Amino acid sequence: MDLLEYQAKELFREMGIPVLPSQRIDHPSDLKGLRIPYPIALKSQVRVGGRGKAGGVKFVENTIDAVAAAQAIFHLPIMGEYPQVVLAESKYDADQEFYLAVILDRATRRPVLLGSIKGGIDAEATLEYIQLVVVDEEFSPFYARRLALKMGLKGELIESVSGIVQKMYQLFVQKDLDLVEINPLGISATGQVMALDGKVTANDEALGRHPELATLASKMSKRAKDEEIPPALANQNFVQLDGNIAIICNGAGLTMATLDLVCFTGGQPANFLNISPLSNEAGWRMASYDSIPGNPLPKEVDSWSEYLEQALELATQNKNVKVVLVNILGSVTLCEETAAAIETYLKRRESSSRTRSGLHVIVRLVGGNLSVAKERLSAIKVPLIEDLEEAVAKAVDKAKAVVGY
Amino acid sequence: MSFKADSKVLIQGIAETLGSTHAALMKTYGTNVVAGVSAGKGGQTLHDIPVFDMVDQALPAVGPVDITAIFTPAYLVLDAALEAIAAGIRQIIIITEGVPPLDMVRLAAKAEATDTLVIGPSCPGVIVPGKVLLGTHPSEFYIPGPVGLISRSGTLTYEIARELTRSGLGQSTCVGIGGDAIVGSSFQQWLQILEEDDATEVIVLVGEIGGASEEAAARYIDEAIDKPVIAYIAGHHAPKGRRLGHAGAIITAGLADLGADVGTAESKMAAFKQAKVPVAERPSQIPELVKKVLKKSGHKKK
Repeated sequence: MDLLEYQAKELFREMGIPVLPSQRIDHPSDLKGLRIPYPIALKSQVRVGGRGKAGGVKFVENTIDAVAAAQAIFHLPIMGEYPQVVLAESKYDADQEFYLAVILDRATRRPVLLGSIKGGIDAEATLEYIQLVVVDEEFSPFYARRLALKMGLKGELIESVSGIVQKMYQLFVQKDLDLVEINPLGISATGQVMALDGKVTANDEALGRHPELATLASKMSKRAKDEEIPPALANQNFVQLDGNIAIICNGAGLTMATLDLVCFTGGQPANFLNISPLSNEAGWRMASYDSIPGNPLPKEVDSWSEYLEQALELATQNKNVKVVLVNILGSVTLCEETAAAIETYLKRRESSSRTRSGLHVIVRLVGGNLSVAKERLSAIKVPLIEDLEEAVAKAVDKAKAVVGY
Repeated sequence: MSFKADSKVLIQGIAETLGSTHAALMKTYGTNVVAGVSAGKGGQTLHDIPVFDMVDQALPAVGPVDITAIFTPAYLVLDAALEAIAAGIRQIIIITEGVPPLDMVRLAAKAEATDTLVIGPSCPGVIVPGKVLLGTHPSEFYIPGPVGLISRSGTLTYEIARELTRSGLGQSTCVGIGGDAIVGSSFQQWLQILEEDDATEVIVLVGEIGGASEEAAARYIDEAIDKPVIAYIAGHHAPKGRRLGHAGAIITAGLADLGADVGTAESKMAAFKQAKVPVAERPSQIPELVKKVLKKSGHKKK
């Protein structure tokens, strides 16, 4: 989960990383009670990059200009995201701008310190100058000094910059983060350092042991209203595309393989949804300490059927969806419950104001109790196909027949 | 590696729902499950398996253990694994999902220092068809034979094993190494294990988009593996920049991966092509390709 800049800076402040005086603005009128002196920067609080270039940062000298600028920023979407909050921050005159980050490297399975003396908004230029230090044993401040030297720093900057890196590392470990980034780290003419922008990505799987971060996550999720996703499915496994075939599978790898097959067969996916109950439970909804493997379903649902019903509702919300391909595999998952969920979903759909016409459900099921599931599905005229490619071909055929291409 | 029919197996977190379910399935398959551990449940018996409060108490009762399968809650996995290592167990399979990556960093360092093989987390474990089941693989999809299968996924592994089985191609050893960003054992380690395994004649490697482990595996195959390898990559049509369940399946062309094009299906295909590894476009092509290389290498069907 990506934190917003003002939230990241709150963590920096707690850790003793220098940040500028700032104030959170929820509405342009909040600027009348501004407690920091002008000139200030007003910064759109969105989770996507490219904010500066998109016009999401404005410098102002007085209240009138500030209110106008804040209004403009609140109404400026950046890659589709409108800010809920704008950050008002003192202006800082930086002589130089550096890039610093702490990340986990998957290949070496070690934390890595990154630094560049070319920070700022031009990320590509930053990449070229970036230096890297692998923390291959227990962390000690010398790793941070090693990075400072590799960056080419001299004199007092060695101590001040490595001091920041050290605190970033502490934050990284204490809060189980995936990323701590300061870009840019401003260096004043007198050699003072200041975190001018910051990015913190919390690890979703560790949120359960960081209630303070999980609270931030739950607040942010309430605000993302662009898709109406039921809580049990509120993870990042639902992806919208432009076609007419909805794909529901259990397991990320199987979902991707099924998506590929639909495309290779000439079909156009409308969306895909991974409802692997286990990977879902690891999602960033307050994974409670004792519930993870004990109850593999998300705690918002009581049964696999209920979970699948919600998935079917979500996947067919879009009117373009003509076919739903359900591909469920495995021994833990009960075929019978899958069939029951499909039956309930179709009955509900039929009795609601929406008509069932135009929607085909194709079920690919493998596992225990298959004969019961088969019987149940055939009673409602839903085909159950054991072979994956046959099921995909059928789904694509149906979709083509409906739209007539 | 020693995953044999008579390997002595411990189950940590045996009183958890998943642990209990799969302990029973493993035992039914013939796996030599000698004991279970769940703090507070010591003295009980589950599926005829004696349960102890700690690993330290189990070992004196049942003797040295070869493998432990961990089903404890995610935040207790690191501790459970360290407990197993302290007790001298050198093969650890972590089934649990959602282990925080920094816990895995600590565990990986400890495993390297103690020469311990850690499989997972978030994995279906290992199956040697007809001999031993260590994890959650649905055993009905597997039959014994010459194909070694290595994968990052759970259900996709089952799918491909089922395809092989339906084509009459049995498997020597199948492993899901886990879909997380930080996992205990790598494709390379398993390629080496299967290279040395007499029962394996051909290796199927199932990869997916995200990370750089397939690229690294391709280089390793080129340099160090003599047995034929067939690859398959899932996620050609997954949109970029979205997270797809597996933490490893994030395509970020940014700073974190330090290389613009690593992680895409194209870069993985290119890496395998360079290593002269045939890549199947769809799961059903895998058996064909396997049969082709088996024929070439003179495999005689018994």
